[in-house]
Amino acid sequence: MDFAIQTIISALSFGSFYALGALGIGLLFSVLRLINFAHGDFITLGGYALIVPSSAVVAAALIGGFHPVLVIVIIVAFVVILALLTYFLIFQYVQNSSPATMMIVSFALGYTLQNIVVMIYGGRPKAVNLFPELTGQVQLSDGVGVQILQLVIIAVTWILLIALVLFFRRTRAGVQMRAAAEDFRMARMLGVRGKRLIALAFILSGALAGIMSLLFVTQKGVLTFEMGVPIMLFFFIATVIGGMGSLVGAVVGGYAVGIASVVLSAVLPEDIRPFRDACVFLIVIIVLLWRPQGLVLKKASQERV
Amino acid sequence: MIEANTPLLRLLRTYWPLVMLSLGLLIIVAIVDSSGDVILAQTLIEGLVRIVIVAALYLFIGNSGIISFGHIGFVMIGAYATAWQTCCPYTREMFMPGLPVYLLNNSHHFVLAIFLGGLLAAVVALISGYAIMRLSGIAASIGTFALMMVFYSIYLRWSTWTSGASSVIGLPTTTTPWVGYAYAVVAIVGAFLYSRSKWGLALRSSRDDEVAAKAAGVNVFGQRLLAFVVSAFFCGMAGGLFGHFLGMLTVDSFGLGMTFITLSMLVLGGMQSLTGAVVGVVVLSFLIDILRRLENGMVSGLNLPTSSAEVFVGIVIILILMFRQSGITGNQEVYWPFKGDVSASSAMKRQS
Amino acid sequence: MLLSVENITVHYSRLPALRNVSVEVDEGEIVCIVGPNGAGKSTTLLSISGVLNPTSGEIIFDGQKINGMNPETVARAGISQVPEGRHVFTTLNVEENLRIGTTIRNDRAEIEKDFKRVLETFPVLAERRKQSAGKLSGGEQQMLVIGRALLTNPRIMTIDEPSLGLAPNLVDRVYETLTELRRDRGLTLLIVEQSSERALKSADRLYVLRSGEMQLEGNTADLQDGEKVRQAYFGFEEGTPQEGGVTF
Repeated sequence: MDFAIQTIISALSFGSFYALGALGIGLLFSVLRLINFAHGDFITLGGYALIVPSSAVVAAALIGGFHPVLVIVIIVAFVVILALLTYFLIFQYVQNSSPATMMIVSFALGYTLQNIVVMIYGGRPKAVNLFPELTGQVQLSDGVGVQILQLVIIAVTWILLIALVLFFRRTRAGVQMRAAAEDFRMARMLGVRGKRLIALAFILSGALAGIMSLLFVTQKGVLTFEMGVPIMLFFFIATVIGGMGSLVGAVVGGYAVGIASVVLSAVLPEDIRPFRDACVFLIVIIVLLWRPQGLVLKKASQERV
Repeated sequence: MIEANTPLLRLLRTYWPLVMLSLGLLIIVAIVDSSGDVILAQTLIEGLVRIVIVAALYLFIGNSGIISFGHIGFVMIGAYATAWQTCCPYTREMFMPGLPVYLLNNSHHFVLAIFLGGLLAAVVALISGYAIMRLSGIAASIGTFALMMVFYSIYLRWSTWTSGASSVIGLPTTTTPWVGYAYAVVAIVGAFLYSRSKWGLALRSSRDDEVAAKAAGVNVFGQRLLAFVVSAFFCGMAGGLFGHFLGMLTVDSFGLGMTFITLSMLVLGGMQSLTGAVVGVVVLSFLIDILRRLENGMVSGLNLPTSSAEVFVGIVIILILMFRQSGITGNQEVYWPFKGDVSASSAMKRQS
Repeated sequence: MLLSVENITVHYSRLPALRNVSVEVDEGEIVCIVGPNGAGKSTTLLSISGVLNPTSGEIIFDGQKINGMNPETVARAGISQVPEGRHVFTTLNVEENLRIGTTIRNDRAEIEKDFKRVLETFPVLAERRKQSAGKLSGGEQQMLVIGRALLTNPRIMTIDEPSLGLAPNLVDRVYETLTELRRDRGLTLLIVEQSSERALKSADRLYVLRSGEMQLEGNTADLQDGEKVRQAYFGFEEGTPQEGGVTF
């Protein structure tokens, strides 16, 4: 029973994390048809911003040493600005290209960002101790202990999800964004400002990435220049499984992947367990063949700003 | 001016891009080989192997219009398949104890081994492509990406056949510059002949307008599958060459990094031209070599920080895709420099 | 002149889709452009909306050159387009669809008034306010997009084939609504149709477009017998034998 509760909470917290990541990708895909492979590297850069830029072996705290509220605000702002910059400097010029071309651009961007990190910070992993009080355990009842951070991840995710739902249902910009996701050209013909809307999508996606930087670094306790890549692959899987372009789908996909990976590790027979990742990617292919709808371009939404 | 009116000249004109590309590479190989620069020779062999990969990528991507992120999976399959046949006869059982008895006790000649490696990649491409080639556009690209990750994760865990996360060491280093050159020419010829064939033409028609191609009776799925299989065959052979260039194999080297660098070369040269594929490899390999030397402080007074080459490649690719998507060659082949029948020469240009 | 399209030429990649086409619409008029499939009617409207960019010629709206502007700026200048195929946002409900129409406005009180008026004009939309727009019938969707375009408070509304895919009685209803809107609020309309019959009935003036070139323009009052229009539409020469009972 205790084990079950711990597994459930662990699965939920993994799922929440993947859901946030999938949302960050889904937001951009829905308005721009961009699968942003640099999303994981946005998270990486948010993490590195915590420490002093140097290739020294021992990391010295920079922003990470500030008051917690300040840490959160500055890191989120940093990643938001980074995301916006990539839009204005890069993606804006390729947004009328095919999605596959944009995907290569985002690959190149991610690759560049990773290597800029190596250039500045060196290639070796760096230990970082962010919000140490969150990594402790809390006793739920006799003998059932869970990591505080896992509960924090779940709570943060749900707060963000509710905020996003309110944004999409209740605000003008949110409704416009949903409309633009379905039919960008028509939205513009009704006066929706395309560029502004896409910039807003980058802001939201960047804010999610910034928050995830903090959660991820707190949990990992270590920074590596490639740490964004494996999680990005999971976000990507989650978005595809959820049916690209649907934000509800992204959340569902994120939870599905998170829960599945925890459960699969627990129940898969010993000799197949090593092939878990291969199975997950196989599922992606099956989903693509089964229902590629989310990926099919609606004709009217092809034309961008 | 030479008029292309004798049969011989016509033939020469038809195969002009082939002649120019092979000659160009021949000159490069000859110069490097005689220079005696060891590091440059390494860059050269690696570049030649990459020409095989990128020519194969062109064969599929350039003609089908589907950007594949999965071909490095086939390179890996070919590389390991070749290693099963040629690697380290005395320690093969130690690295790969799961191999069948025949492979544990017998070694094949390098050329045969590479051919069989390519064949295995082609067979795997046939089976997996049978599913994935039904997809179009971005869904197909994602499918190839997922496919690559499937192969990668299987090979990483399948340690009795691949040594898993550690390396297989002791492959004979038979890929000399001239061997690499021979295979590069074979791949270029293969890609050129395919593109000129009726199959290549049919596939390009689907690239430009899938619906119209289908309406005109083109079996788009079949044509894509064919190109996928042929290009996987060349990728598989490139894998074999790669192993015999390094003398060792690790699954890790066939991941996103290699996918990115080879795609970058194709994008830089021009995705829809074979000349672009070759030019992209040559230019990028050369630039990376120079930057590496600068990073290592081999030129006095200039010392670039580590990873400069990577950052440079990333930025170049972003800029190319922003401002010149047709690459260095503008998606054109090397064309007949002499005056002649205009329709024929413009047909050549458009042949890409 | 409220809107004048002056000698525009539009290319799709290299192929010209329109050659030297001119259209004029005066305040309060209903103007129709008719023509067979592929004549360039939709191209004309999309050029006005800023979706397509003419290679030569000018489009002047209220004394201001608007070609080269992007679609949102054109919409903000006061031209609202209902493109072919309706384009409701199926993932939004009816009310949200209508609210998108108010994107460019900030006059809250006026918006609410107009919103009520649209719901009065199209009672069926009021009934289905909270329903997903994708669930509406074709006729209801046509009402929705017209209502949505009205809410931008346009000075001129352009509509691409409002009769497409609708049953004849619904087409009548749509045109009735359009003429009422002109009568009640002085709305200026530029309508594209395939059928010249409908245009002759409802419009003040008529243009016939064929193969990317303007064939005929005139007051509908002078063209009521339909002969000239038919010739322009099909490109028959004077005296060419014609089949009896051609309806179009």
